Amino acid sequence: MTTLESLGIVNSTDILIIGGGIAGLSAAITIKEANSGLDVLVIDKATSGWAGKANKGGGNITYVEEEDGMDHFVKYHVDHVGCFLEDQKLLRAYGESSRTILERLEGWGVHIFRDENDNPKFIRWTEDLPWRMAVMDQDVTLNLVGKAKKLGVQFTDRTSIVDLLKDGDRVAGGIGFSVIDGACHIIRAKATVLANGNQNYRLMRRWSSGRGDGIAAAYRAGAQMRNPEFGNFINWVFVDSRDVCQGAEDVLYNAKGEHITKAIRPTIEPDLHSKEVVAWYKEMQAGNGPISANMAENRILNEIVPAFHSDALAVRPISTAFWDRTIGKSMSAATKPGPMQEVVPGFIAEQSPVKVDHDMATTLPGLFAIGDVSFSGSAWAGAVPSPPGRMRGTGLGNAVFSGIRGGSAAADYAANTADVKIGPDQAQALKKTMFAPLKRSPEIEAPELVRAIQDVMSPVGNSIYLHKNRIQKALDGILGIKAKVSQLYAKDWHYLAACNEVRSMVLSAEMFFKACLMREESRGWFIREDFPETDNTNWLKWIVASDNQGEMTLSTEDVPIDEYPVKPT
Amino acid sequence: MNTINIDQDECTGCMTCFEACFVNVFRWNDDVEKPIVAYPEDCVECNKCELGCPVEAIQVIPDYKNIYWPPVV
Repeated sequence: MTTLESLGIVNSTDILIIGGGIAGLSAAITIKEANSGLDVLVIDKATSGWAGKANKGGGNITYVEEEDGMDHFVKYHVDHVGCFLEDQKLLRAYGESSRTILERLEGWGVHIFRDENDNPKFIRWTEDLPWRMAVMDQDVTLNLVGKAKKLGVQFTDRTSIVDLLKDGDRVAGGIGFSVIDGACHIIRAKATVLANGNQNYRLMRRWSSGRGDGIAAAYRAGAQMRNPEFGNFINWVFVDSRDVCQGAEDVLYNAKGEHITKAIRPTIEPDLHSKEVVAWYKEMQAGNGPISANMAENRILNEIVPAFHSDALAVRPISTAFWDRTIGKSMSAATKPGPMQEVVPGFIAEQSPVKVDHDMATTLPGLFAIGDVSFSGSAWAGAVPSPPGRMRGTGLGNAVFSGIRGGSAAADYAANTADVKIGPDQAQALKKTMFAPLKRSPEIEAPELVRAIQDVMSPVGNSIYLHKNRIQKALDGILGIKAKVSQLYAKDWHYLAACNEVRSMVLSAEMFFKACLMREESRGWFIREDFPETDNTNWLKWIVASDNQGEMTLSTEDVPIDEYPVKPT
Repeated sequence: MNTINIDQDECTGCMTCFEACFVNVFRWNDDVEKPIVAYPEDCVECNKCELGCPVEAIQVIPDYKNIYWPPVV
């Protein structure tokens, strides 16, 4: 008779946290601070503390001060960022707790830089925005690991959790494997917290290892997804290095020397918008490419970014070394002298659709989702891909905000529920699927399908400037790739992880295009060429996706706009 | 493909590069307690291994020209 123990290494814990970035670590610490008797295990497919994006970004975290005005913050966000698709109650809760989050982090050993009056040092992306960014160094997650270990949190690294295990309808842990030795790991848990990031399709360099692992695991277990169509973030990248060119959106010129975004961005706005990408697309279609960023006029890169990274604001040796080294190397790759440097839209995606309530509870009992895996699914950011969702610093802010909420809720759940039971048949079937690529003939390998997926997702006509015909063609392309997933071959455990990531990427892409087809309007970041107007009569709705016996089904959920303070006029 | 050079004489075997890599480029040679550059094809030039090395024994040389980039239009 098959037993669970005969299938792999079996561990039991009260709470399993999948993903050792800032969100997962915030949740782990929150749990242990309030419930030292609960066992917490954090598993990461690489290394907790080095994983995630907190140690690769700008080290900025958004917060709202009382004098910025909470009502103003909510209204500004709804009017200019999320365009009425926000859960305005959760948006407000984020704003209201954002200041105390800074103190929470400091209590966990993170250095938030303060001025002589003990107020956080801050910078605003532009002068008039009703939020600020406090700053920290890139050692934030290593500090959190140190704190978590002192509190007794357990860690397992280089182990990829592929699927969730269930006890009836309740999520009861996860199953995965070590990328080092291929051992199958089965974790039995009273509560499970997904904290393993969003979907990046493996394209953007030096940024995220988020391949939608948590999204796919939750979807296959039966959890609902929300807002999957807002999974198409881009940033401008230099053609010569594929590294990010911050501020390009305000200084784009076509080959005729004409400024192509001045008319649609007369002043500096809160971060990028897809409308600039549409302008780029139209210029390219008209034969006016290539498009270059005029680095001499780039105010964000020449003024704001240097101010942000200056020692006058905060001495941050790790961040400074990171930016000096990475940017130094990429800038040295420039092949042309002078200020005009060719740029293109670099697809980043950031799809984050696991649907959660205000406690970060998913639609499955025992499963919680925090950080990037559920940012759009929580709906507080509205009609934007997130993070940053046109609000720089929300990646870190949301991670801690949702980590505290989700950690607390998961602890309550684990403390008040019975032990779980996992049937070996279920684990055996998932193990067989997970390891199947190791047993196939070497015909199709993961890198081939990764490129095929990227070829469909990256074109602006497929991801940003949408049209029914192009969406349908792209969806057909993804479904063609999906048909090949069952033939994927892995030569070792490293590539086995890549094969399972491809499964996740295909699922995200299918969900994205199906939801794009459904939303017949333009709103916020989401732009349809064939439906250019915002439709507040029919589309104050969230699109919800879920699995129905192997078929993806989509439905809508009304935004309860009558309950919210900010309404369309 | 990026090149990752490790000065085996300088390397102290501290494992920082192994832990710092968020895409698991390295494996660990237990016999000699040194890193193995096992999957350089997956390196995305974050430079965390290079920056984290306490004795500057590791260098990442990005190969920007050969980064695969899909169509953008």
